[in-house]
Amino acid sequence: MNPTVSTRRIAWPALIAVVALAAIAPLLVSDFFLSAILTKALWLGIAAASLIFLAAYGGMVSLAQVGIYGIAGMAYANLVLADGGAAAAVNPYLALVAALLIATLVGLGFGWIAARSEGIYFLMITLAFSVLVYYFFSQVTGLSGFGGINSVDLPGIVGSPEQDPLPRYLVTLVVAVLVFLGLGVLSRTAFGLGMQGVRDEPARMRALGFDVTLHRTLAFGIAAFVAGIAGVLSVFYNTRITPGSINLAQTIDVLIVAVIGGLYRLEGAWLGALTYALIDNYSREWVPEVGNVLGPARFNTLIGVLFLIIVLASPGGLIGIAEQLSRKVKTPRRAPAPMPAPQTVD
Amino acid sequence: MAATATHEEPAPILRLTGIDRRFGGVHAVRGVDLQVRPGERRAVLGPNGAGKTTVFNLISGEFPPSAGRVELFGLDVTTLPARKRARLGLSRTFQTSRLFAGLSVEDNLYLAALGVSAGHLRLVPSGKDGTLRAAARAMAERIGLDTRLDDLVMDLSHGEQRQLEVGMALVAEPKLLMLDEPAAGLSRAERVRLTETLIGLDEDITLILIEHDMDVALRVAKWVTMMHDGRVIVEGTPDEIRANQTVHDLYLGSGLIAHA
Repeated sequence: MNPTVSTRRIAWPALIAVVALAAIAPLLVSDFFLSAILTKALWLGIAAASLIFLAAYGGMVSLAQVGIYGIAGMAYANLVLADGGAAAAVNPYLALVAALLIATLVGLGFGWIAARSEGIYFLMITLAFSVLVYYFFSQVTGLSGFGGINSVDLPGIVGSPEQDPLPRYLVTLVVAVLVFLGLGVLSRTAFGLGMQGVRDEPARMRALGFDVTLHRTLAFGIAAFVAGIAGVLSVFYNTRITPGSINLAQTIDVLIVAVIGGLYRLEGAWLGALTYALIDNYSREWVPEVGNVLGPARFNTLIGVLFLIIVLASPGGLIGIAEQLSRKVKTPRRAPAPMPAPQTVD
Repeated sequence: MAATATHEEPAPILRLTGIDRRFGGVHAVRGVDLQVRPGERRAVLGPNGAGKTTVFNLISGEFPPSAGRVELFGLDVTTLPARKRARLGLSRTFQTSRLFAGLSVEDNLYLAALGVSAGHLRLVPSGKDGTLRAAARAMAERIGLDTRLDDLVMDLSHGEQRQLEVGMALVAEPKLLMLDEPAAGLSRAERVRLTETLIGLDEDITLILIEHDMDVALRVAKWVTMMHDGRVIVEGTPDEIRANQTVHDLYLGSGLIAHA
């Protein structure tokens, strides 16, 4: 049973406030912060959102998202870059569309297979997929170059991030907002409600006349499209892609981002990604030197401890903590009631 | 098994022929034959483990029989998946409520109405789905949940959830309605309300009911099938069943199985 998942309307005032803040952020922060923290949090958030979308609305915790975004990233990089770093082979915009199409098709095909399994088996089969994609690109150097594909051409709209990271940031921001809104609207469509029905009671959905496997497959395809977007944006961010950037560690990182943020709300994806980017960049400075026991080199330990604390304090992640706090501040207008309300005897 | 009415017999809406179902070493259903005519009110009785719910699952298509044949609405559906049987006009409830706990009451009913209509995969906002939304709200009113439309199902009481189970089966406007212990765990007042709902059902709807509560079952049903140990052992009118010694022995927990 999922903890308190429900269909939520988009909280417009909060969304507008966050987007406004993100829009003026370039005036307030350094170029380094803009790229390494904010831009990274936005595209990593999209990757985590594809995972959260499947988990929160479809009841499927997938570890395949990094595999799929790796396929999109590799497809884009290969299409724009002829072998040996010659001039762009394919127009970057065309390559982008092709990359998303490939990622979505692979997602649909793989989803069709994975949709038949549930729970831990679904987790395992999707993990296997990501590992497979990693080894494929590690070994087929014809597609991944030796040690990755470097200096990938970017679409004109992104500009040259080395000189000015602002256009890339704004593009990533707009795409992230569109992904958030798109998935939010989708969850309230006939299809989206059906997905949530499949999450709660697949047997009931079958008895009502729904094709549960088809629903799961299409949900997986949509999540693959979103993961593909993250993959292409990750290439914009790094201007390169290597097999090492889509390995098992990255699969785990995206899962951690989703869990830190909160597996049950889409907003959690970006909150988790921002937290992760901050910890990943600055934790080296925070860890004090204590003999041989602690030191800046132990920043991974700090990340692990923070992860444990967040998960133990709130299974709903940071979003869950925020919800609990706002519940305490506001006098509840309506009982949020994770427990059944007491019944009056009639 | 004798047919009730000797006069003109319409074709059965449901026919089971020699149905067998094994789960590993458990022989849950053994050679069951069953016929239900259109518009019938049928109760299936029997102690726990008699195979009633397994028969329901075989009719609705949760799993196929190990042997035998299932016919619905004159079609052989033995190997047809559950979702296709639902679209033929079969609708069922579950012994333990299987509701969409993370969705509101209205969304639950909406999905039930959507299931048998076209366009499961449409990307139109479901709130603008006028006809189905109207059907969902009308059903909520009929089952007394119209004040709880926006509440999550996980926040409903047990009685309200059981009511919603029945509502979700009815909103699909089935030709054949199968209810698996709809009165389980209900208060007295809720039972009375349920009985009235069932008695007031449209006559065109065929009803098959599993129910342990004799007050509900024998008031609603016109014909009763009694199961024990995976077999049909007695069939008859509610009066005949009330007077039947075997039924008494089984329900009073007598260790002896008398022969009818």
